[in-house]
Amino acid sequence: MPTAINAGDTAWILMSSALVMLMTPGLALFYGGLVRRKNVLSTIMHSFFILGLVSVTWVLWGYSLAFGPDAGGGLIGRLDWLGLEGVTGEPSPTYAPTIPHLAFMAFQMMFAIITPALISGSFAERKRFKAFVLFAVAWSTLVYAPIAHWVWSPDGWLYGLGVLDFAGGTVVHLSSGVAALMAALFIGRRTGLIEPATEPHDVPMTVLGAGLLWFGWFGFNAGSALAANGVAATAFVTTNTAAAMAAITWVTISWLHRGTPSVLGAAIGAVAGLVAITPAAGFVTPAASILIGAGVAIGCYGASQLRLRSRIDDALDVFAVHGVGGAFGALATGIFATVAVNAAGRDGLLAGAPSQVVIQLVAIGVVALYSATVTAGILFVVNLIVPIRVPHAEEEAGLDLAQHGEVAYQP
Amino acid sequence: MVIAALATFATLLAAWLVAPSSEQRDRDRARAALASELAVAPRPAVGERSSV
Repeated sequence: MPTAINAGDTAWILMSSALVMLMTPGLALFYGGLVRRKNVLSTIMHSFFILGLVSVTWVLWGYSLAFGPDAGGGLIGRLDWLGLEGVTGEPSPTYAPTIPHLAFMAFQMMFAIITPALISGSFAERKRFKAFVLFAVAWSTLVYAPIAHWVWSPDGWLYGLGVLDFAGGTVVHLSSGVAALMAALFIGRRTGLIEPATEPHDVPMTVLGAGLLWFGWFGFNAGSALAANGVAATAFVTTNTAAAMAAITWVTISWLHRGTPSVLGAAIGAVAGLVAITPAAGFVTPAASILIGAGVAIGCYGASQLRLRSRIDDALDVFAVHGVGGAFGALATGIFATVAVNAAGRDGLLAGAPSQVVIQLVAIGVVALYSATVTAGILFVVNLIVPIRVPHAEEEAGLDLAQHGEVAYQP
Repeated sequence: MVIAALATFATLLAAWLVAPSSEQRDRDRARAALASELAVAPRPAVGERSSV
C-alpha cells in the first residue's frame, strides 16, 4: 500500500485521539454520579487510574499484541513492536497510509483505555482497588488485545470472514458488556440495596459525564475513518443522530412507563445510542441511524428493566447498555450497511446481502463467548491473589474512606 | 531501553502487590492506638504492686 502523510488526516486523527481520551474522565463522571456518595471517589478512580495504567501497558505490549504482525491463525499479534520498537512517525504500510503510525497507535490506545474502564461500573461499590488494577492489566492483555486483532487487523480471522465493526461495537462494547455481566455474577450483590440512598447521588454529574461522552464519541466514530474525508463526515452525522434519537426515545419510554420524563433516562439513552451506532457509523445512512437509535433505546430499556427484576447486581447497567447495545449495533450493521455510503465496506441485508447478518451474528457469538470465558478465568485467578470483594464493614463505610482514605464531600 | 521500561513497569506491579491492604492499614492503626494508650497510662509508684 503506498504511503504518504496527509496533514489534514493527521491533524484529524490526533484531534480525534484527544477527543476519545476525554471520554474516560467523562465516563468517570457518568459512573461517579450514579453511585452512592460514599463511593464516588473510588468509582472515579477506577476510570482515571486506568487512563494511566493502560496507556503504559499499551505502549509496552498491548499495541503489538493487538495490531502487530500476526503470530498465526489471525488470533494474536506478535511482540515485534514491544515498547513500540519500529512504530515511528512514518505511516504504516498496513494501517492508515496517510497518517504517522504513531498517530494510529495513539488513537487505538484511547479505545484500549476506555474498554476496561467500562467494566468497572458493573461491580462498583464493592470491589477492592488492588484487585481491580490486577484485573484491568490481565483483561486488557488477554481479552481486549486478541479481540482487537481478530476484528481490526487485516490478518485477523474475523476480519478475514468479512465482519463489519467500524469503531468497536464488538471489540469495545460487547466485550466489555459481557465481561461486566461476568464480574457482577462473580462478586455478588451489594449490601444495603434497600436503602433509599441507593439512588444516584448526583444526577447533574452523570449528565455532565454523558455530555462529555457524546462529545468525545465524535472522535471515537468519525476518527475511525482514519482520514478527514466523506466517511468521517458520515460517521459524525450518524453518531449524533443515533444518540439524539436514542435519548428522546428512552425519555419517551420512561415517561409512558414510569410517568415522568427522566433526566437520567435522557443521559443513559444517549449513551445507548452512541454504543449502537459505533459499529455502524461509517457504513450506514443517516436515516438508518435514526432507526438504530430508536431500536437500541427500546432494547436497552427493556434489558435494564429485566435486570432490575433479576438477582444480578450489575450496579450501573453496563451489560444492559454496552453488552445489549453493542450486540444490537453489530447486528444492525449487518442489516443496514451499504457500499453506497462506504466503498470500503460491504452491503448488508437491505442492500441484498443477507450473508452479512450471519457474519455479524458469528462475530457477536464468538466475541461474547470468548469474553465471558476468559473474564471468568481472570476473575477466579485474581481472587486467589487478592480477594476482589471488600469486607462487609468496608462496604458499609464506603470505598472512598476504606480503600482510598479520602472523602468526596465534607459534612 | 525496552527492557528497562518493562522492568520499571514490573517494579510498579510488584509494589501494588505488596502495598498495604485496607485491612492491614486498619490493623496498623489499631496497634498504633493501643501503643499510644499504653504509653500515656500512669506508671505504678515504686513499691506499689503493678498488678493484682
